[in-house]
Amino acid sequence: MSQTAQLTGPLSTGGPAARPSQPAVTPDQILATARSLRWQVGSDYHQALMEAIYTEAARIADRAVTRPGEKPRFDLDRTIDRLVTSRVWGFPLMILLFTLVFWITISGANIPSQLLSNLLIGVVYPWLHRLADLIGLPWWLTGLLIDGVYLSTAWVVSVMLPPMAIFFPLFTLLEDFGYLPRVAFNLDNLFKKAGAHGKQALSLMMGFGCNAAGVVSTRIIDSPRERLIAILTNNFALCNGRWPLQILIATLFLGGLVAAPWAGLIAALSVVGVAVLGVLFSFAASWALSRTVLRGQPSTFSLELPPYRPPRVLQTIYTSLIDRTIIILGRAVMFAVPAGAVIWLTANVHVGGASIAEHLVRLLDPIGLLIGLNSVILVAYIVAIPANEIVIPTILMLTVLVTGMSDVGAGAGVLFELENTEDLMRVFQASGWTLLTAVNLMLFSLLHNPCSTTIYTIYKETGSRKWAAVGALLPLAIGFVVTFLVAQVWRLVAG
Amino acid sequence: MPDPLWALAIGAGLALLLAGLFWPERGLWPRWRRTRELTERVLTEDALKHIHKWEMKGRRPTVESLAGALQVPRDRVAQLLANMEQLGLLTSQGGDLHLTAAGRDAALHIIRAHRLWERYLADQTGYDEADWHGQAERLEHTLPPAEVDALAARLGHPTHDPHGDPIPDSAGRFVAHGGQPLTALPPDTPAQIVHIEDEPEVVYAQLVAEGLYPGMAVRLIELTPQRVRFWANGDEHVLAPLLAANISVVPKPAEAEGKQAVKAAPPAIPLSALRLGEQAEVVGISPRCRGPERRRFMDLGILPGTVVTAELVSPSGDPTAYRIRDALIALRKEQADLIHVAPRPAPAASPNGDRPTVGQEPRPEEAEAPSSP
Repeated sequence: MSQTAQLTGPLSTGGPAARPSQPAVTPDQILATARSLRWQVGSDYHQALMEAIYTEAARIADRAVTRPGEKPRFDLDRTIDRLVTSRVWGFPLMILLFTLVFWITISGANIPSQLLSNLLIGVVYPWLHRLADLIGLPWWLTGLLIDGVYLSTAWVVSVMLPPMAIFFPLFTLLEDFGYLPRVAFNLDNLFKKAGAHGKQALSLMMGFGCNAAGVVSTRIIDSPRERLIAILTNNFALCNGRWPLQILIATLFLGGLVAAPWAGLIAALSVVGVAVLGVLFSFAASWALSRTVLRGQPSTFSLELPPYRPPRVLQTIYTSLIDRTIIILGRAVMFAVPAGAVIWLTANVHVGGASIAEHLVRLLDPIGLLIGLNSVILVAYIVAIPANEIVIPTILMLTVLVTGMSDVGAGAGVLFELENTEDLMRVFQASGWTLLTAVNLMLFSLLHNPCSTTIYTIYKETGSRKWAAVGALLPLAIGFVVTFLVAQVWRLVAG
Repeated sequence: MPDPLWALAIGAGLALLLAGLFWPERGLWPRWRRTRELTERVLTEDALKHIHKWEMKGRRPTVESLAGALQVPRDRVAQLLANMEQLGLLTSQGGDLHLTAAGRDAALHIIRAHRLWERYLADQTGYDEADWHGQAERLEHTLPPAEVDALAARLGHPTHDPHGDPIPDSAGRFVAHGGQPLTALPPDTPAQIVHIEDEPEVVYAQLVAEGLYPGMAVRLIELTPQRVRFWANGDEHVLAPLLAANISVVPKPAEAEGKQAVKAAPPAIPLSALRLGEQAEVVGISPRCRGPERRRFMDLGILPGTVVTAELVSPSGDPTAYRIRDALIALRKEQADLIHVAPRPAPAASPNGDRPTVGQEPRPEEAEAPSSP
């Protein structure tokens, strides 16, 4: 009671409620006074109050906090900042650094990938088969567990682990040093035009390593609308799992178009072209999303440029391996296990004289042809949804299964890869691949639903099935439209 | 394999069909939803709102004015008014329309829902100012009283909508803003914008584009039949009198708002006008910046008295990094526009910046510290 009076006292000079000594004040009177005061203090007193609290906090902090040493590295920070954000050097430095990171990742991942593959598929896989024979497992159980579950999981691990284990620590080191926020600072204007946040540059680059990790990394964007945009468009960054397919198809089909000395260059350029196309699609999708479905989401921009610090190398490598690589790999394995079983089962369960895979292939044939692919590719993308890494082996397995080739392959439902380009071309030609199929496969590999790990991560990060569905279906719809258009125009021009 | 030309034609047809169906605002589906929303109840509520508004302005609502406001034919309005009279919402003696007590209550509920929703859109979402009114027009008809009360509680019982209109409380009580049109203000009197009329939309959009908002300090410079020239927060604006009449102002009480007057005293410029290396002291954050964004600014320590230095510009031109309380924070131009600062002379000691810039001036405390033990 007396407190109320004290609070209202300074506001209402001498109102009835301001005299605590009068006992005859009823609650209704107090409420009425409060109501009339509400109109007097105006609409902004909440904000004025909040501002006063903040100002007081700042005053206390300024009085209590001493700053010893006065920052010896202050000038160094400024010099670095002037360099990395300068008009002349800013962008070239950025391109140079990221080219270096990607080059180290791609070239450095080859050897450990090969070693892992030799170990898991070359040594352990036959050994498991011998073990199964020894204890006399029935053929279907051996097939399901070893050819299905184990093989696809081993495949995912050996292709996925090395690039992630190289890329993530490198990226984290740059982050730890304080360089990445400067990249966001440099590129923000570009992203602003698409209605996005400058930090989306970083999640996009992380997406080149792995889209699931890219989606997780959008946590650095604190503005709700821009964060959703970054999550939903991350899949347009061509992830590690899709590079091998791009490189393989570009080398076989596009490199083969020109004379041998130029083949490598053309192949490399076309893969980079697809990646750049992905970035363009990411901008376009960001622009469209921010102007349609996400228009009403609140948006607050701010970007802190922390001081530069010498990176803590060992700690960084440890945490980026644990936080990013292992978690993502764990999720991928979680999805690869059931997928391996599904792949083996579709190729081995027979209904009405043909396997489920063959039925699916026949069913999807019209759609596959319409968009310039073929139904084997579509089926491969359906069953290989857990990881883009196993799309190529799945395509090979299904092609051999459907065409009935006898001299290549490892049996129904068993994934395999071919080292020999002539054998590869023979398999592709057997199922009628053309240059159009190759080009559209490269496009579809860029523009299709993200892998199940990423979809699950989107669901986890947004906490919403709706956004997970949008994140999955938006690129798929774009993929169908683009491949459809390319196929029709191609056929018109080619006659 | 289908003929590519046919396939393209069918594909294009399909795309056109989908666009025709679902195109925002103009597609068949949004149109169908709108006509379904335009029920008898909605028309009744809009009519109540219109009559109440004209009564407040001291004008006589007529069948013609209603037909114009609701965009329905006049005989439809006549039928509507007959229905409303039967429901006891209004009386019409000799063409004079008057709300009954029940009619006024119903009108105030709708107005309350509308203004609260606008407040919500302004404070908690990212919709543009131009979108607020249209959305509130739709939602005011769907919110039951209990939800309106819950919304008011969640927003902290706001008293005014973002245009400066008072929001009636749950019992329908409110205090009108009591402003006069800007065109009626004597020249050179300091005043404050209290209300900006949000109808018609075209006029409102122009006022928004001028960057005017309730709470702005204004001073009339010149009034001619062709144009109105005035200062608003240090910028000169020129408007047609027709537009300026939609801005309501009250002469600024010099005494009661004493603190405000002192704050406004130094010539405030937007933070975005600061050149590299220049220093300024924050005067305040524009009232236009509300909700999460305002809180974010305050979290970063952008408060009256904080010293801010412009330090870096992105090579692509836009975000500028400011040193605020020892941290380097990049802000976009539109955001820096919302922060009012008073420029300070650059630190004289050394232009190179050997001396660090410290957040607020802790100098007196520093001088005291050694002497205190």
